[in-house]
Amino acid sequence: MDLRAGDSWGLLACLCTVLWHLPAVPALNRTGDPGPGPSIQKTYDLTRYLEHQLRSLAGTYLNYLGPPFNEPDFNPPRLGAETLPRATVNLDVWRSLNDKLRLTQNYEAYSHLLCYLRGLNRQAATAELRRSLAHFCTSLQGLLGSIAGVMAALGYPLPHPLPGTEPTWAPGPAHSDFLQKMDDFWLLKELQTWLWRSAKDFNRLKKKIQPPAAAVTLHLEARGF
Amino acid sequence: MAAPVPWACCAVLAAAAAVVYAQRHSPQETPHVQYERLGSDVTLPCGTANWDAAVTWRVNGTDLASDLLNGSQLVLRGLELGHSGLYACFHRDSWHLRHQILLHVGLPPREPVLSCRSNTYPKGFYCSWHLPTPTYIPNTFNVTVLHGSKVMVCEKDPALKNRCHIRYMHLFSTIKYKVSISVSNALGHNATAITFDEFTIVKPDPPENVVARPVPSNPRRLEVTWQTPSTWPDPESFPLKFFLRYRPLILDQWQHVELSDGTAHTITDAYAGKEYIIQVAAKDNEIGTWSDWSVAAHATPWTEEPRHLTTEAQAPETTTSTTSSLAPPPTTKICDSGELGSGGRPSAPHFFSVPVALALAAAAATASSLLI
Repeated sequence: MDLRAGDSWGLLACLCTVLWHLPAVPALNRTGDPGPGPSIQKTYDLTRYLEHQLRSLAGTYLNYLGPPFNEPDFNPPRLGAETLPRATVNLDVWRSLNDKLRLTQNYEAYSHLLCYLRGLNRQAATAELRRSLAHFCTSLQGLLGSIAGVMAALGYPLPHPLPGTEPTWAPGPAHSDFLQKMDDFWLLKELQTWLWRSAKDFNRLKKKIQPPAAAVTLHLEARGF
Repeated sequence: MAAPVPWACCAVLAAAAAVVYAQRHSPQETPHVQYERLGSDVTLPCGTANWDAAVTWRVNGTDLASDLLNGSQLVLRGLELGHSGLYACFHRDSWHLRHQILLHVGLPPREPVLSCRSNTYPKGFYCSWHLPTPTYIPNTFNVTVLHGSKVMVCEKDPALKNRCHIRYMHLFSTIKYKVSISVSNALGHNATAITFDEFTIVKPDPPENVVARPVPSNPRRLEVTWQTPSTWPDPESFPLKFFLRYRPLILDQWQHVELSDGTAHTITDAYAGKEYIIQVAAKDNEIGTWSDWSVAAHATPWTEEPRHLTTEAQAPETTTSTTSSLAPPPTTKICDSGELGSGGRPSAPHFFSVPVALALAAAAATASSLLI
């Protein structure tokens, strides 16, 4: 992420690097484990739960931002918010993603999104909003842990933070209030879209991973992948 | 001499044909096409004729009364659809055709109704449109699809003229799609547009081949099977969930069951002996809306056939008094005792064993008494 003056996402880079270094959820106990199947299911269920939670959170937050952000046909051009992880992907590319890449993209996306959400939380005006956001962040952290668990079970390494992220930043000119709200709008939109995409991603993974009986064999094959 | 007469005839015929041809293919041979608004008034001039020229007007070959004339011009007031037709004005004396007007009475288009739907997610979506009220004259439609600032191609449907198809290039987009349509005809112009997110327009086609069958020896069960709609391209990665509704024909209230996977379900609370109507709907597991209801399947649960005339009258509605409706006569029971000994039929509850035991005991007692 490059730190552009006035880009609020850049200002959160410090926080993001801190989060990257948080210890990942320890790998599933390999002895007698039923394979990654149940944890993929659990991750899928978590994305559904989060999507449901986000619906009410986003509604409340957009109302707090006020019009035009809370209008249903608000359709602004996508300007700024360059560093937000985008869920959109070419159809054929998405189909042909291998499991490792699919999981990695999900993990990286939610790591960034969680970071930005925490930034949002710090700026939120009302206590109730802060509470809802904090609750959501906790759930999102749970999703991250769940994805990490699946990756560990399949023998994939967790992604490392990108080189070049600076621990210090130079505060740029003040971000206009409207532009800040636009950034918030796109964050919530991208989060919602990622949750829909993840449901489809984990559906695909579910179908590809064999039922528990054959999980051990597959697990060994995956390790040699 | 016979020969000159036929030749003369031919010559006359040829001349007549030439005259007719000249008349029909006069300078005004192609009628002037004119569109006028329903309910309006119109004055049709007889081509370039003077106002005071003596002309006769005809519509579709029928003479028109002269009271409609204003000089050589035809005046039509309060146009109705029936006024549409071919108007021709002739020189009154020579019957020379001066001018022809093909009049179409119609209306300018009202705002079109446009809707888009994806029944082939993630392949693409289609948009269809129609006018809320007819215009009675030809209309042309022009559809444009924008994804953010990118223009997308909407391919015309080969069969339906009010539909076109768009293919998704990218999935999981946060940018909305905007579909605009403009309609125009000779009398006016109108347009509308709709904006939507990729996920909101997902609506599968209804499930196919819904079949309901009775389950043998189960008077309260019906087995329902169906197939995912053939238009849904990838049920593996984009699984569907289903909603089943059923009711006996004699009742109005539906029972509902939601099923997260599988394409079969057994109804276990059907009213015995009543014909049921069953329908299924489908939805993507996470996004979009439910499909329309499928074509209805009909079935009646299994009922036992009456075996003997002496058997008690069947009372299929009274499922509480099982003994009377399900217990066959004792003579049959002895023949089936072997089956019961080895585990019995699934529909044979415990009370059968009492008459069987008694019968067996009676038979054994009789046999032993005979032997002694």
